[in-house]
This record gives sequence, structure tokens and C-alpha cells, in this order.
Amino acid sequence: MGIVIAVISGKGGVGKTTTTANIGLGIAQNDKKCVVVDFDIGQRNLDMLLGLENRVVYDMVHVMDDGIGLKQALIKSKMSPNLSFLAASQTKDKSVLDSDKISKLVSGLKEEFDFVILDAPAGIESGYEHTIEFADRALVVVNPEVSSIRDSDRAIGILDSKSKKVKDGQEVDKFLIINRIDSKMVQSGEMLNSDDILEILSIPLIGKIPEDKGIIDASNQGKPIILDDNSKAGQAYKRIASRICGEKVEFVDVESHKESFIQKVKGIFS
Amino acid sequence: MFPWFGKKSSAKTAKDRLTIAIMSDRSNNSFPFIDELKAEIIEVVKKYIDVKKVDIQKETQDGVEALSIDIQLEK
Repeated sequence: MGIVIAVISGKGGVGKTTTTANIGLGIAQNDKKCVVVDFDIGQRNLDMLLGLENRVVYDMVHVMDDGIGLKQALIKSKMSPNLSFLAASQTKDKSVLDSDKISKLVSGLKEEFDFVILDAPAGIESGYEHTIEFADRALVVVNPEVSSIRDSDRAIGILDSKSKKVKDGQEVDKFLIINRIDSKMVQSGEMLNSDDILEILSIPLIGKIPEDKGIIDASNQGKPIILDDNSKAGQAYKRIASRICGEKVEFVDVESHKESFIQKVKGIFS
Repeated sequence: MFPWFGKKSSAKTAKDRLTIAIMSDRSNNSFPFIDELKAEIIEVVKKYIDVKKVDIQKETQDGVEALSIDIQLEK
């Protein structure tokens, strides 16, 4: 039975979809069978970030409503044989989502894959509650910025009251990903550091992603940045994927500017 | 002269403001049924006297949690 992980955030635009694409591919590179599902209905983007937008024939609503089989709808990534993708519907609105259908879809995926990663809509949107309903774990993506952190606390609150696991008396394990850390700004005291954010949200950290201009280039090309061995953000995603697969990976300091300079030098000579 | 010496860290300000905002969010959201409860209270009280609005606050004092319900009457 696979593990269902919802990638969530409070507000939009903090890097949920980028995180889903990279971590999904990272898990697949760890020799685990992984499927990433775009639950952000109406604004699908995960297909673009994975370079699969031209291969989408059927989406999740076809599977739930029109009797299309999972095998027909799932798209295998060329970047890793272990990675599959299920597209969000662009046409029908979010109200088509219904608990029983989602439960059936997710159970089907759990049988086939070790990890089922759900790219959720932002916590303030209506499809959010459906995405988290059947999650075993959640990855909470925040930026070191007040509105993102505040909204994520509300999204966590909804998760803790609405998910099936919680209603059954269990807990959904939540892990924090701090995305877009600008080490220079953290050093000068203009940006919240990870210790402060952890203290405010009080959930365990699973990774810190430095700001990386290469993310834009990666999304332009539809090749997740985790494939770029010289990218600091890509390496950070790699570490998170390994942690999710159960490996113990040391945390790397991406907040002290001095070390990132040394890493830069290392990057030149490697 | 050295403008950066006098500059207050805005990250510290952010942390302080967030801590307070989230604390208040959490206490306001701890009863998801609060709107329903308000509507029902209004219905019940309205049978006897006209109600203008109902306010419900969760309060904690000396470890005891309480709901304080304010019912404002229509003049």
C-alpha cells in the first residue's frame, strides 16, 4: 500500500507545484514507484513543469466520471521510468470533486505506487479540503514571508480538522518546506530565518530551498531543477526526496551567506 | 554615516507580528461551527425578543476555557 502525501500551502504562488514536480521526480530517482497528481483543478500547471503538457489525453475527471481506466490516463515520464503523472481537469469546475470518487481514485493509485503525491490547490480555495481528505502526510510549503506563513497555519488547521485520518482518531504527519530562502536577506535581518518560522508554526522541518534563478529556466523547459546537479535548489529537493524515502540526510545550511559562497567556489571547480 | 547600524531588523518585527496574528487566528478558528451556532442562537432568542446580533468569543482564564456569548438586542 502506497503512502499518500499532499503538498499544501496557505496562499498560492509559494512553489507548491514546483515542489511537487521536483520531489515526485526525486522519489522516483530513489527507486520508488511514484505518481504525482494535479489536484489544482482549473489551473493545472504540473503538466507544464514536468514537460508533459502535450501528452495529456485523459485527466482525473475522466477517470472518476467517464470510466476511463487509470492505466489509460496515467502518463509515464521520460525522465524516470518510476514516475507517472495524472492531469487535473481544465474544463469542469471544482464542485465535481466528491469524496467517494476521490477515495476510489486515491485507493487505486495506492495499490500501484509506493508514493502518491497530490498537488493541492491553495488552502483558501474550495478544492483544498478534498485534496487533503485522504492524505497520510502533508508537506507544507511556505515562503519566509508573513502572509505565506500566516495562511499556512490556517491551512494546517483545516487539515487537522477535515482529513479522514484525523476523523478516524489518527494524526496526519506534517512537514515544513521553507522555499525561496534568500541567504543575504536572512543574514541582514530582512528575512525571517528558519528557526523563527519553525517556532511560529511548530511543525518539523523537512527541507529548506534557497532562492534559485534556475527555477524559471527549468520551468521554461519543462525539466525539474532536481535534474541540474549544479543547482542549489535542485540539491535541496534531492535531499527532501531522500528524507521522504526514509533516508537520514543531514540538513545543509542554506541561510548563511558565507557558506553559500564556498559552495559557489566548489561549484566552479567540481 | 553608517545607516545600517541604526536599522532595526524587520525579520524580528515580522516574527513578533506573526506570533500575535497566528495566536489570534488559532483561537478564532478553534470552533469551526461558530457561525452555525450564532445563527441558531439568534433563531431561538428571536422567538422571545428581537435580536440585533450575537458575538461569541472563546476565552481562556486560569486554564479554564469558556465561551462568552454576547447577545445584542434590537431597540
